[in-house]
Parts: sequence; C-alpha cells; structure tokens
Amino acid sequence: MLYKEVIMAIRVNPRLIDDLERFGAEDVQFCYHCGDCSTVCFHSDQMYRFPRKSMRFLQMGLGRKIETTLEPWLCYYCGQCSEQCPREADPGETMMSLRRWLISRYDITGIARLFFKSLTTEILAVIGVAVLTGAFLLYYGLSQGNFSIYDGEGAFLPSHFIHSFDLLVGACLAVFLLINAVRMWFFVMVRGTSFPVPWWLYLKKLYLMVWHFFSQRRYAECKSTRPTKIFMPWIVHLGLMLGYIIMLVLVMVFIEKLQSGPRIDWSVHIFGYLASVGLIIGTIYFIRKRISRKNYVQYKKSHSTDWVFVILLFMIVLTGICQHIFHRTGLNELANGTYIIHLMAVVPWLLRMPFSKWSHLVYRPLAMYFAEIRRDALERQDAVLPSYSY
Amino acid sequence: MKECRIGVYICMCGTNIAKMVDVESVAKFISAVPNVTLVKTYKYMCSNPGQEMIVQDIKQNQLNRIVVAACSPSMHERTFRGALRKAGLNQYLFEMANIREQCSWVHDDPEEATKKAMALTYAAVKRVELHEPLESIFVDMCPNVLVIGGGIAGMTTALELADSGYQVYLVEKDSRLGGNLARVDLTAPYLYSARDLLTERITRVLNNKQIQLHLQSKVTSLSGFVGNFKANIQKQNGQGSTGSKPFEVRIGNIAVCTGYKEFDASRITHYGYGKLPNVITSFELEKMIRSGRIETKEGKVPQYVAIIHCVGSRNLEFHTYCSRVCCMTALKYVHEIKSANPACYVSDIYIDMHAFGKGHEDFYKRSSEVKTLFLMYEKGDRPVIHRAGPKDDCEMLIEVNEKLSGELIEIPADLVVLMVGMEAREDSAEVAHLVNISQDKDGWFIESHPKLEPVATTTDGIFIAGTCVAPKDIPDSVAQARAVAARILAKISRGKIEVDAVYSEVDENVCSGCRFCNKLCPFSAIEYEEEKGHSHIISALCKACGVCVAACPSAAIKGRQFTDSQVIAQIDALISKVEYV
Ligand SMILES: Cc1cc2nc3c(=O)[nH]c(=O)nc-3n(C[C@H](O)[C@H](O)[C@H](O)COP(=O)(O)OP(=O)(O)OC[C@H]3O[C@@H](n4cnc5c(N)ncnc54)[C@H](O)[C@@H]3O)c2cc1C
Ligand code: SF4
Ligand code: SF4
Ligand code: SF4
Ligand code: SF4
Repeated sequence: MLYKEVIMAIRVNPRLIDDLERFGAEDVQFCYHCGDCSTVCFHSDQMYRFPRKSMRFLQMGLGRKIETTLEPWLCYYCGQCSEQCPREADPGETMMSLRRWLISRYDITGIARLFFKSLTTEILAVIGVAVLTGAFLLYYGLSQGNFSIYDGEGAFLPSHFIHSFDLLVGACLAVFLLINAVRMWFFVMVRGTSFPVPWWLYLKKLYLMVWHFFSQRRYAECKSTRPTKIFMPWIVHLGLMLGYIIMLVLVMVFIEKLQSGPRIDWSVHIFGYLASVGLIIGTIYFIRKRISRKNYVQYKKSHSTDWVFVILLFMIVLTGICQHIFHRTGLNELANGTYIIHLMAVVPWLLRMPFSKWSHLVYRPLAMYFAEIRRDALERQDAVLPSYSY
Repeated sequence: MKECRIGVYICMCGTNIAKMVDVESVAKFISAVPNVTLVKTYKYMCSNPGQEMIVQDIKQNQLNRIVVAACSPSMHERTFRGALRKAGLNQYLFEMANIREQCSWVHDDPEEATKKAMALTYAAVKRVELHEPLESIFVDMCPNVLVIGGGIAGMTTALELADSGYQVYLVEKDSRLGGNLARVDLTAPYLYSARDLLTERITRVLNNKQIQLHLQSKVTSLSGFVGNFKANIQKQNGQGSTGSKPFEVRIGNIAVCTGYKEFDASRITHYGYGKLPNVITSFELEKMIRSGRIETKEGKVPQYVAIIHCVGSRNLEFHTYCSRVCCMTALKYVHEIKSANPACYVSDIYIDMHAFGKGHEDFYKRSSEVKTLFLMYEKGDRPVIHRAGPKDDCEMLIEVNEKLSGELIEIPADLVVLMVGMEAREDSAEVAHLVNISQDKDGWFIESHPKLEPVATTTDGIFIAGTCVAPKDIPDSVAQARAVAARILAKISRGKIEVDAVYSEVDENVCSGCRFCNKLCPFSAIEYEEEKGHSHIISALCKACGVCVAACPSAAIKGRQFTDSQVIAQIDALISKVEYV
C-alpha cells in the first residue's frame, strides 16, 4: 500500500442501488458473492476482476469508486455469468446498467442521465431536434432554392450547403465526445490510478485503441458453450461499426460527389451501398433479437432507450434509400421531401450518440487502451516494488 | 467350585489387530494355559457369526467362563455379555482383554505387541477363573416426572408426559411461563408470532390436571436414583428462599430444560453499549417491535438501522461457539423494520451468514429482495461505532473493513442492533450439581453421547432438552423436548429398571461409620444411615468406579466383580515370569 498514504473510510450509499435500478440493474441485491460469475467470465483477469467486484461496489453504493473503474467496459455481455449465477442476480445485465450509468457520469451536461431515466424526455428531445432541423432546412430551402430541383443550379438543398451542415453537426458530436472522453480519462487514469503512469505509455499503446475500434475483436473473444450466439454479435458489431464509419466519411468528405446525379458515380456509391447493406443487416438483427428475447440473455431486458436508437436508425436507412431511388428516377419533389425527413432523423440520431448507450463505440476502445496502459504501468511498478498489492 | 472350562476368543478386528499382533501365536500360547478348554481366532468377533460361535461353543463344550481378547470393553462388553446370556450362562462369567486400543493401535513393534497381547489375555484368563455369577437387581420405576424450567422446551416435555397420563411437576423460577421466547415478537424464518406459539402451550399447561405447576420456585434438593428420586421444591421470593416449608415430591425421572441467558453486550466495551444511547440489543429491539414503535431514544423514526452479528459469539475473547439463532433473527429484523418503515435503509454486518436450517436459505434470499445492505467483517476485526459529525444525516457511523470489497467503509446508522448470543445461565453450575450432571467449558450441560444420546446424561434418569444443552432454535428445542418425553415414557412403560450388578457394597459389620467415603463418591451414591451408624451404598447410583473401595480405612467396601482376589490375580498374571513364546 505504498501509494495510498492515508486510507480514508469510504461512506456507503444505500441509495445508489435504487438509482441504478432506473438504469436497468434490477437484481443486484440478490448477489451473495459466491464469485461464480467472475470465474466463468472470459474477460476477467488478475488485474480487472469482474463482475462480482462491480456487483459489490454497486451494492455498497460506492459510486465514486465505480466511476474510476474500467471493468464495465471490459464486459461484452456474453451473458455467461448471468447463466451461472445461483442467485439470479443477473451480473451481465448489471454490467450493462453500469455502462449506461458510466455514460451518464462521463457526460457533463446531465442529458444522458435524463434520457436514461425518462423515455418521455428523450422522445420529446428527439422530436424537438427533428422539428427544429426540419424547420430550418425548409426555411433555408424555400428561401434560396426550388423544391423541384434536387441538385445543380437552384437546388432546394445544394450539396455545398449540406456539406457545411454536416460538418457543423459532426463538430458538435466531436466536441461532446471529446469532453466525455477527457472526463473518462480523468476518472480512470487520474482519480482511479494510484501508481505513476509514464506519459510515453500513452503513445506506445495508442495502436490498441485503433485496433479495438476497428476490429471489435473482444466480442469474438467471448467463449461460450454455444459459439454461434457469441460469434453473431461480433459480426454484427463489426458490420454496423464499419457501416457507420464509411457513411460518416462519405457524408463528411464526399457528400458533394455523393449527391450529384442522376448518374451513379460508382467510385463513391459502391461504398455507400456496402455500408447500407451492413446497416440494414445490423438493424434487422437488433430488431429481431429485441423482439424474440428469450434465447438471448443479452436482450432479455433491453432498455427502452435502445428502441429509440433502433427506430431512428431504421428510419434513416429507409429514407436514405428512398431518397436515393427518387433522385435517380427523377422524382425530385419526392427526393427533396424524403431528404428532409432523412436529415430530421440523422441529426437527432447523431447528436444523441454522446448521451446514449451507443457512445460505447468510443468508450470501449478507450477503455481497452486505458486498461492496457494501466496494466503496463503497474507491471513496471511491480518490477521496482514487488510488494505493491493491487 | 466346579471345574473351570474357559473359552478364549482372539479377534483380528479385520486388520486392526492382526496387522500388529500375531493372533495365531497368541492363540497357541493361551491354549497351553491350564483350564483353557478352547481357543479360537476370528476376523470379527462382534459380528453376528462371531457371537453365534460363542453361543454354540458354550453349549457344545460346556464352557463356563469366556474371555474375548479384542477391543475396549466400553465398546463391546455388552455385546458379548448378551451372547453369554443367550447361551444360558451368567453374563458376569466373562472378561475382555483389550488388545486393540491398548495394544495394536498404540505400538509399532509387532513382536512386542504380540507379547503384550499374550500377557493381557493371560491375565484375563487368570481373572475370569475367580469370577462369580452375579444377579442384576430390579427396582420399581416411579412414573412421576419433574420438569425444571418452564420455557418452550420444558412446557413441551411436561405436556407430552401429562397427556400420556402421568403426573408432572413443572418448576419455573420466574413468575410466568414461556422463558425467553416470551420476549420475542415474530419467529424466523416463517414469521409466526411467538405469542401465538406460547399462548397455546401455556393455556394447555395451566388447564392440565396432570401438571402441577410451581411458579417462582426452585428445586432445592434432590436425592435417590433413577426411578426413585425425592426432590424438594421451594417457593422463592425476591432473593433466595422464603421460610415456607419445601414441598417434597417423589419422581422417577427428571427433565432439565433451564434454557439460556443473553450475552451482556456491555462486556464488549468498544460497541459502546450502555454509553451510546442508540446502540441496543436484539432483545431491546424485540421489545420495541412488540410495542409497535421502532424509534431512537430521542423518539425519532430511524432512517438507517445497522445490525451487527456475533456479539459475544464466535471469538476467543468471549464465546467460541456460534449461537445459531442470531443470523436468522437478524434477517427477521430486516423484514420487521422494512415492513414498519419501507424507506429505512438496513445494513446487516455479519461474519458468515449461517443459514443452515429448513427454510433459512430462502429466508436469506428474501431478505436480499428488500435491498438489505449485507456487509461482511473479519472475525478478529470488529466494526467500530463512532458518533457522527454535525454535518452527517445520521447519528452514528460504523467503520469496518469490508471483506467482500476489500474496502474500509463507514456505514451510517441511527440505530445499531447488537445480535447478542446465548450463554449458560448464571445458576447453571448450581443446577448441574443438584442433578449431578456435567457442564462443558462454556457451561452447557453435557449429553451422554453427542450423536447417539443427545438428550440423556451420564446420570440415569436425568434428561436435558432445549437451550440448556447448547444454543438452538425453537424447532430443535421442541424436538429435544419431545425426545426427552419419549425416553422417559419408554422407561416408565418398562415398569421396573434393571441395575447393573457391578456395584460396590459396604460390609456393615466392618464399617466404622467414619463417613470418609461419603464425600468422595463422584456419583453421590453413598448415604449415611444415622440410626445404624454406618454408610450405605445405593446400588442403583453406584457406577463401580472403586474410589470408595480404595479409600475406606477399614477396608469395609467391596467392589463386586472387582474383588481384591480378582484384581490381584490379574496383576499377578501380568507380572509373573511366563515365557511368552
Ligand atoms: C433475540 C432472540 C430471538 C430469537 N428468535 C427466534 C426465532 O425467531 N425463531 C426461533 O426458532 N428461535 C428464536 N430464538 C431462540 C429461542 O428463544 C430459543 O430457542 C427458545 O426460547 C429456547 O427455549 P428453552 O425452553 O430451551 O429456554 P428458555 O426460553 O430460556 O426457557 C428456560 C426456562 O427455564 C427457567 N429456568 C431457568 N433456570 C431455572 C431453575 N434453576 N429453576 C427453575 N426454572 C429455571 C427460566 O426462567 C425459563 O423460563 C431467539 C433467541 C433470541 C436470543
Ligand atoms: S454468480 Fe451471482 S451471486 Fe455469485 S457473485 Fe456473481 S452475481 Fe453474485
Ligand atoms: S456478460 Fe460475459 S463478459 Fe460480461 S461480465 Fe458476464 S461473463 Fe463477463
Ligand atoms: S447465528 Fe450468526 S450471528 Fe449468531 S453467532 Fe452464529 S454466525 Fe454469529
Ligand atoms: S464405587 Fe465409586 S460410584 Fe460406587 S459408591 Fe464407591 S465411589 Fe461411589
């Protein structure tokens, strides 16, 4: 205990467990700490032991402690632990709820917390942003263009305008995510790490973040008695993630090429089609699993906010495709109409991301990155001071 | 004396004896001893074929003395005596040589061990030659029963016996029946009302004509032996007995059901019991619950309640044993507190959750359902209670090294409940002495066998039930109470009791009346007959330990089956210069 000079007693908070219930953790109180879950969990190791310990911190309401842990992000919700738990305490779902709770803690605005706790607020916010977006686009379009022109001279929503609009939305998204990521770093690497971390480890391990972001490999690492069910989430996550990235790049960088027509520019459109297929498959997969929950522990208790995501995504994909078809077939009025609806879904969907479960796309790779930096730093410490006990 | 025809049986006890003692050599050696008619070795003498062999041999070879060289007589003497009886031979014409516990199990040189087995068996042969046939005595069994203690255990025993038609004297030192259970509200784990359980018993006791109830009374003296005890019951008032005349009763058996008392929490100074006003014991909480209001001394409804387990139990300083009921009682409080005030946060601070009984594990799970904060502490590392600061929203803070998280934590509390354990009553030694039974290191009464004789004691006719034996819950106390009743009824139904013929006798012509032996007898079996002027041994009480025989300065006491000549013959044989080959 070399780096914890004075050990101060931490106050337990029996209210936190009630709070977490609204984030989806309904059975934590049943856990009696047999440790079966941590034993079966494929991702739990010497340094990051979970989910039992997370269950414990949660029962005791050690919020400030949980805030500084990475364990919830290292769980990929294979559900093994929940299947094994003799007390039906549902540790897998608890880890999921802790991720939601962490997202609300990283978020400085308090919006995430509001959304997780009240579906109505979230729906109202989504509708509000959608209406604002629609109104703004209509106003802009009508004031400078012609509703029956899709592209080129006098276009209702000219592509250069859309490009700037996209960049603006993208910048907002990036700013929010960045602030949250910095807060996460502060919780985990400053408040939650009692040993020194050399700066160059951040560089040395940077590749990990990129690798995990693009490969989503950890999903595939979950071993299970029923391999297909574990394999599928990985494929789907990979597909969805690649779909998002491609779409994001197309929209942010190549929007002007993408929007020109009616001839199809295969050099960009091929990517658009591929990404659309990925997104469609992913969306259908999620909808199906959430409807037929019984076979999948992971989806037994999907949180209501998950539905907002799925429905918006479905609308985006649908209107995107329609808009594309209408444009290529010369139905310009219809194309412009669906385009507005499309953007009315895209904007809230994107802006919602830092405040919703889907920000895990960013936090997970970050967590892997931080986890490995901490592991290395501690190993260096052990080499110097073998008696250091974690 | 008739010609001696001795049969000697040497047991191998599987390999227990045979692996160290060469039983065949022993047999060869013994067969050369005079008066030995027959020698046999066998794998298991105590088995049915082994015993049958003895019976047949006695009949066919007119054997009139038997020696079995095998295990300890405390193990199988009864068994082989039974075989003699079956063959029509007096059961006392028998002797056992212990070549297992005292030979094969304790030695590692086979040659020496074999020689020792030869010597022991040879000595047994020399002794048995001098055995005489003895007759057991039979005494009448008085069917009345004395029950000491009117708790749930005592009342249950009394009712069971009285309902079978026998006279019961129920002696309770308190002014009311019910014992400790009368201080309890609901019972774990099924939340039955203790009052309901007791009212039914108490009404039945009061209305039963066969039960003579003595409240505020104590048994002040006891004499006699199984089947024929005499006891004095005396009314108490305040301190000690009054001048009123003791009431004498004749009884055949006694059930001791004197229960427990709670551990005094102020002995653990650092819990601040007695100093911090809102640190209370489980019994004080029971009282609050029964009165319908759980509140702090200041009259506030507590927002945080903390329960601390194992107070006085399971540590080296006070009691090492587990009090068995406090874990479930604590869970019961969780339910009671939560149902009185659902907004209250309850922390349950335990060492281990002992949920071993029927319905207990389910009860534990149900206590999790109401979001009890279960916290685990290390045995040697007790929680510490502080007064909270002015800024805190609670009265006290409990600091503890929480084992399942590895964190040092503090727990808010407005009311702290100490789960005090059970301990033997302060007068338990007095009671033990009165009825002549023993106590263990913690003061609990000792049963004659912890597994096979859980309610009998080493004194015939004295039975124990309930929490005076060890901490236990209501079902176990009641089960023991009914077991005691069953044991006593079985004794009564036999009408007479057989007393082992092995006891000591005073030769009245030799006894000088010095009364030296009277105080020495560990079983209080010797009484002094004033009018005759000499001591007399109550054969039914004597266990033939021989203390008085050795002590008597006039050599007036003879131990039957342990006469001087028998014992000396045995010793002579052991030290004689026989060639053991
Ligand atoms: C806080 C608490 C809560 C509990 N809750 C539960 C529960 O929920 N469920 C459960 O199953 N168990 C519970 N128990 C255990 C229960 O109290 C005991 O199992 C039960 O009371 C034992 O009964 P008993 O007759 O053996 O002893 P006692 O109740 O102690 O009765 C002994 C009686 O003998 C009398 N006595 C003692 N010495 C003498 C003497 N020398 N002469 C004459 N009379 C004498 C006493 O006055 C007393 O009336 C609880 C115990 C505690 C401490
Ligand atoms: S398996 Fe269940 S009860 Fe056991 S430690 Fe894990 S969550 Fe708790
Ligand atoms: S759901 Fe899977 S990955 Fe997550 S804690 Fe349980 S076993 Fe580990
Ligand atoms: S029953 Fe529970 S509280 Fe009571 S002594 Fe045993 S372990 Fe401790
Ligand atoms: S032999 Fe022992 S038990 Fe018998 S009267 Fe003498 S001292 Fe008492």
